[in-house]
Amino acid sequence: MHARRRCVLAMLLIAALMQVGTLWAQSAPGRNVLVLFSNGRLLPANVEIDRGLAEGLSARPEMRAELSAEFLDAPRFAGAAYADTMATYLRKKYAAHAPEVIVVVGTEALDFVLSKRAQMFPTVPVIHQAVAVERLRSLVPLPADVIGVPVDLDFLGTATQALRWHPAARRIVVVTGSGEWDRDWQARVRQAAAKLDGNVSLEFLAGLPSEDLRKRLGALGSDSIVFTPGFFVDGDGRSVVPIESARFVAAVSAAPVYAPYPTFIGTGVVGGSMASFVDTGRLAAQIAIALLGGAAPASVELPQSMPNRVHLDWRQVQRWGISPETVPADAVVRHREPRFWEAYWHYLLIAGAVLLIQSGLIVALLLERRRRRRTAAALAQSEQRMSLAAHAARLSMWVWDLGLKQNWLRTPSRRSTDLRTDHFTDFNEVLSDVHPQDRESVDAAVKRALSSGEEIEVEYRTAGPDGEVRWMAARGRADQGNPQRLLGVTLDITPRKRAEAQAEQDRTALRHMTRVSLLGQLSASIAHQLNQPLASILSNAEAAQEMLKREPVDMPELREICSDIVAEDHRAADVIRHLGVLFKRGEPLFAPLDVNELVRDTLELTRTNLLTRQVAASLHLAPDLPLVDGDRVQLQQLLLNLIVNAADAMEATPMAERQLTISTALSGPQIQLCVADRGPGIPGSDLDHVFEPFWSTKGAGMGIGLAICRSIATAHRGSLTSSNAQEGGAIFCTLLPVRATP
Amino acid sequence: MTASAPTVFIVDDDAPLCRALARLLREHGWPTAAYASAEDFLAQRDAQTPGCLVLDVSLPGLDGLALQRRLAQDGPALPIIFLTGHGDIPMSVQAVKAGALDFLTKPVSAESLLAAVRAGVAQDALARRSLSETVALRERFAGLTQREREVLAALAAGKLNKQIAGDMNVVEQTVKFHRARIMERMQAHTVAELMHMLARLELAQDNPPTATPRP
Repeated sequence: MHARRRCVLAMLLIAALMQVGTLWAQSAPGRNVLVLFSNGRLLPANVEIDRGLAEGLSARPEMRAELSAEFLDAPRFAGAAYADTMATYLRKKYAAHAPEVIVVVGTEALDFVLSKRAQMFPTVPVIHQAVAVERLRSLVPLPADVIGVPVDLDFLGTATQALRWHPAARRIVVVTGSGEWDRDWQARVRQAAAKLDGNVSLEFLAGLPSEDLRKRLGALGSDSIVFTPGFFVDGDGRSVVPIESARFVAAVSAAPVYAPYPTFIGTGVVGGSMASFVDTGRLAAQIAIALLGGAAPASVELPQSMPNRVHLDWRQVQRWGISPETVPADAVVRHREPRFWEAYWHYLLIAGAVLLIQSGLIVALLLERRRRRRTAAALAQSEQRMSLAAHAARLSMWVWDLGLKQNWLRTPSRRSTDLRTDHFTDFNEVLSDVHPQDRESVDAAVKRALSSGEEIEVEYRTAGPDGEVRWMAARGRADQGNPQRLLGVTLDITPRKRAEAQAEQDRTALRHMTRVSLLGQLSASIAHQLNQPLASILSNAEAAQEMLKREPVDMPELREICSDIVAEDHRAADVIRHLGVLFKRGEPLFAPLDVNELVRDTLELTRTNLLTRQVAASLHLAPDLPLVDGDRVQLQQLLLNLIVNAADAMEATPMAERQLTISTALSGPQIQLCVADRGPGIPGSDLDHVFEPFWSTKGAGMGIGLAICRSIATAHRGSLTSSNAQEGGAIFCTLLPVRATP
Repeated sequence: MTASAPTVFIVDDDAPLCRALARLLREHGWPTAAYASAEDFLAQRDAQTPGCLVLDVSLPGLDGLALQRRLAQDGPALPIIFLTGHGDIPMSVQAVKAGALDFLTKPVSAESLLAAVRAGVAQDALARRSLSETVALRERFAGLTQREREVLAALAAGKLNKQIAGDMNVVEQTVKFHRARIMERMQAHTVAELMHMLARLELAQDNPPTATPRP
């Protein structure tokens, strides 16, 4: 750390030394530019010109110009002897390092150089600056290598501007000293004032003692303005710097004070039309560079005079109530307190930007917070609604996360005030509640849903803690974003299942009831069926008794009688067995059965009934029909019903035409069983209604027979339809699917 | 005419029952003839054979009651004993009104069946005898002359010999002669007996035997 810092310092030091070395190397053959100031070196005007010169020369470092400054200190030092001494001094001083350009500042310096030039550096071109225009005019013609730009000490411009600002002023008070310089100024002012408005008078206060001056200036009213170029010697005979004299004048004057020099700005003067000393210096530097560059002095293009601009002290503008609008646009305004915005605009900009960004951030954060609050509220509301809905529907919701091996479960609570009960359980725990017989199917359904992404839909039983078996239906799917997650709901469908079971029981009971009622209609026929063999047995037995009374007994005949008795007994037993099954009330039992056999057996039961009604039955049974899967009792009921209906339909038919036809046929994968009668048929509009419950055309019928027949057909995955035959009469056909060969 | 022994005709579509009934009746000495349907019976029976008919009510085709009606149309009815699987009262009333001898419910006991059969055969015998008497009377009546029939009709109307002679414009003696001839020819011993004969003939005329043309 320290080593690194030391290293950096060393490198910086080396860089600095190299810089110094470079400067030294350049200055060694530096080209001397000698500046000779008329007045003392501390005169502010000189300082500013010097600054302008230095700036102008350093702008062109390749010219390697080097500035040397000398001061004549006029007007404090003057006289021929002094001039000679100065000339000698300068010649000697700069003998080894002769100037290549001499710049003279002010009239005294120009006069000095013009007179002593031959003794000093006769061939060195001279640039004059800050020489008053009218003064220079008196020196023409100048030598060709003496060039420069004079200064126009613009009293007229200053006065004109001042009168514009102070329209009440009728008098211009000109304050000067009592020296030669001051007399020059008085003459200059007088000459310029001739061009002023005739209403304005001039008053000269020249060389007044300070106390007098204070009184005179302090008594000035608004009809006056003051002009002072400053002075070097006051009325008390003391030597002063012009800027200090201007400060004094401005301090004691009750009227606004104007001046010709920009250096006076800040002493209390308002300002005036004037040339900038810094600009004067810069212009001199530019001319010097041109000459150093080898230009002939005559070829350097120069303005007629230094351009004047209005210079102002903003504090004085405000003090004297000068309207800012009347200030010229190009005026050089000084001491204007920059407005806060102007002074700190970049800070303000940064601060503003920071504030803006901060506000934006705060607003964004507030909006975000509001959004989140709303979202949270909406979420809570949604959650509440969902819970309410789930509770109302008695739904359990669950999310089973395979990755987390966790199952979240929300079950509807028993109490309506508490809408939720959340549990986290293991899936195996859930599975253990499932009835053992359903466990495998539930597990398989879950695995299938997870592997295929299909919906899960499974019904299963659970055994509650009290041992009560309840039916549940679960429905859900894998989370699309996370296939390891299953979401779903579980509904308690026990009431539905119970209702279904009850409905099935009711249906069975109804079928049984209608079957019994049907058998009641057939009771005469059935009694006949039973009576026939009984009668036969009785007669045979009595015949045998009679035979046994005689000797010898006709044994072959007796044997025949016995075998007849046995056969008839079987016949009776068969009838009872068939009937018993029909009367029995039991669960449907699906078994393979032969439809033709069913037709024959059923017809046998109705045989006597049909005989009594004079209905002839004919069978058209297709041979070698495949078996169907069915409940014998139900199908027999269906057929019985159709037969009885057919017989009923033919009550009004002439006896000879009472024909009942039962036919069977194979029709694709189904067996068709039709019962046709020769009754009046079914009116077209009723074909659709005959299967509706409680639809009956019979006075005594309940109208549920055919409805039950159709439900039986449907339960056998078959159908039952009605139509009318072309030759008259109705046909009822049922289609039963052929038993799938195992 | 009465050469054949009384026979029991059985009509029942139930073959085993037919067989059993025939067996029972045969064991009790009755000749039997069994038919599976009414049509068979009508086609095959010998109307001259006396006896009775044991008939099942419910038959395919022509049923028991229809057969009864048919037989009644044809001539002197064979006594019919109906058998039925169940006691159908309206049907039995209809059968009995139409002249059925009995209406038995299956299974029928030998005792009641035999009693019915005996009664039936007896009734048939009686009917057949009565029928043969009527036939004889009719033949005797046919032997009367026109004049004798007129006298008989007048006698039947209760007129006296003198009135009849007056009506016929003959002498009373002639009427007496006719009357004696009538008594002789009709083999009547008294006038009352003659009147009885006449009544039987009148009755028979309501339902005349097909074999005998109406006079």
